[in-house]
Amino acid sequence: MTPVLAARAVERRYGRRVALAPTDFQLERGELVVLVGPNGAGKSTLLSLLAGVLPPTGGLVESSHPPPSVGWAPQRPALYGHLSPRENVELFARLAELDDAVGSATAVLDLVGLTAEDQRAVELSVGNQQRLNLALALLGDPDVLLLDEPSASLDPKQRDRLWKLLLERRARGQTAVLATHSLEESARLASRAVMLVDGLVVREGTPAEIASAMAL
Amino acid sequence: MAAIPLLLAKDLRRLARSPLLLAALVVYPLLIALLVGLVVRYAGERPRVALVDRANLPQTILVGERRFDLKRLFEEASEVDLVRMSADRANRELETGRVLAVLTIPQDFSVRLRGLRASPRLVLRTSTGALGARVTEKMRALVYAINLKLQKAYIEANLGYVRLLRKGGSGKIGRSRLTVIGLERAERELQALARSSDPDVAGPARELAQFVRQVNGAVGQVGEFLRATANPIQLDTNARAGRTWVLSAQVQAYALALALAFVAVILGAAVVTAEREEQTLGRLVRGLIGLGTLVVEKIVLVALVGTLIAVALALGFGLVVEIGGVSGGQPWARVPLLLPGLALASAAFGALGVLVGALAREAGAAMLLALLVGLPVALAGVIPEGAFAFSDWLRAAVPFTHAVDLATAALYDPSPWGGVVRQAAWLLGLTLVLAGLARVAARRLLT
Repeated sequence: MTPVLAARAVERRYGRRVALAPTDFQLERGELVVLVGPNGAGKSTLLSLLAGVLPPTGGLVESSHPPPSVGWAPQRPALYGHLSPRENVELFARLAELDDAVGSATAVLDLVGLTAEDQRAVELSVGNQQRLNLALALLGDPDVLLLDEPSASLDPKQRDRLWKLLLERRARGQTAVLATHSLEESARLASRAVMLVDGLVVREGTPAEIASAMAL
Repeated sequence: MAAIPLLLAKDLRRLARSPLLLAALVVYPLLIALLVGLVVRYAGERPRVALVDRANLPQTILVGERRFDLKRLFEEASEVDLVRMSADRANRELETGRVLAVLTIPQDFSVRLRGLRASPRLVLRTSTGALGARVTEKMRALVYAINLKLQKAYIEANLGYVRLLRKGGSGKIGRSRLTVIGLERAERELQALARSSDPDVAGPARELAQFVRQVNGAVGQVGEFLRATANPIQLDTNARAGRTWVLSAQVQAYALALALAFVAVILGAAVVTAEREEQTLGRLVRGLIGLGTLVVEKIVLVALVGTLIAVALALGFGLVVEIGGVSGGQPWARVPLLLPGLALASAAFGALGVLVGALAREAGAAMLLALLVGLPVALAGVIPEGAFAFSDWLRAAVPFTHAVDLATAALYDPSPWGGVVRQAAWLLGLTLVLAGLARVAARRLLT
């Protein structure tokens, strides 16, 4: 089976500091993979490299043909603070040249349940900014979602909404990679877990296997 | 390229929603213009010069037959601000730079002045360097002005002697009192003798009378000669409501360029680092737009905002000129010619700002760097031509010089096209080079 996204010996260095050692990673269609590991393990770096936000200093990232559409939600919300949630989503929808920018914006705002349309994004609570961040990642219903700690600042209700959404997408055969510290999240959602420590992939397996390894 | 209008609209909306930033963008250039005006005013101010009066000048002094209020002549000198003080204090203040020069009136000044023979002397000591040279020029102007007034007195005194010689009577020449019969009376006396029946008396008397008449005629023209030789060229001054320095074409061009230099460089650095600060750069470069397009969009944004601000400044300046009834007025017809130049200048400065922002990456560092870069860029533009070996290269390499020259040409040159096109080409070239560098540096924003 051809992977949707694949990292081949991909690495990222900042001068002499290694953020991610040469790493191989494959993402199959319909998978929901979680990246776990302590702070600074390289989870966000790997997601950024897969998303094409960060250029690798070594190796390469490949994708299937035709390339999949990829939605990305970084750990810190990436949005224009002086625009309202709707203005943010509509702007990115237009930049992505979606056929119906207004309709697409409405759809993703409904998906994350964000209604504060008159407020500027910078005035939203941290949780609502994260919902907007997720809405932007969901624009155009991408084939692959790359989410960096998406539930970290969500309240339980919104977290459940997100999990439900991700499970529905998985059921439709859509793909996702999540970085998380939550073993519960990993166990509830993931088909596979990858553990990183100090910029190295140290273990791969089922969420239960990784949870056991982490407990040790 | 369809992304550029979308991002432009977003950035303009963002500016419109930041009242403080918007106010700063409008107020800042006005402040710059005001500061330029103040600097110019300071530049035109009278230098402070110590006056050490060793002659203890009396309130008035008699030169020839005219009485001079010499103290007032010095104190009302418009060229410098003369401050009376002791010699010791004057020396101290010259050393500490509180005065730029010390003008000493020697003890024998009044005596020499009254004597009308040897020229009285003033002694000027200045600080070294450019300011000292400037004070020397101002003092020369002061001495010239006083000399002009004294010259009239000297001429009047000398004409008094001539009058005495011609008309006769009693008078003083220097300190000597004397009584003379005068040329006119001498001629009359000789003509009387010429009518004598004694040919030995009448003949020489007639010749002498003719000689005295010739001398009298020649001496009668001495006044004209004296005035002519004292003032071979005379300057008639006629003060009109002309442009002051503050409202001069040069200051207008400098104020425009200076305002653009700071606003555009800072704005360029701010808008590009804002994309990184808000993390949106990551979203944009994931296939939505390239870094090159982003750099172009930011430069276009700065060009747009910079042009609006510069036009507002030019219009404000023009209104002040019109309301002030300054002669010549604002060349309104030239404003359309100025517009493309302002846009190009804004773009060049904006490209520099984007480059600075890309190099600095973080907003705080970018702002600081933009300020640090803006100042030398402006100063490099005001280095006089040929000041040192590479000064002309340096001047040519910064947009400031070309922005000033373009604004001056567009507004005030009788034939502006040559200057405008040449400077516009320079600004376009600099914009392209700086934009290229900014595109290369923009990769740093992703890390």
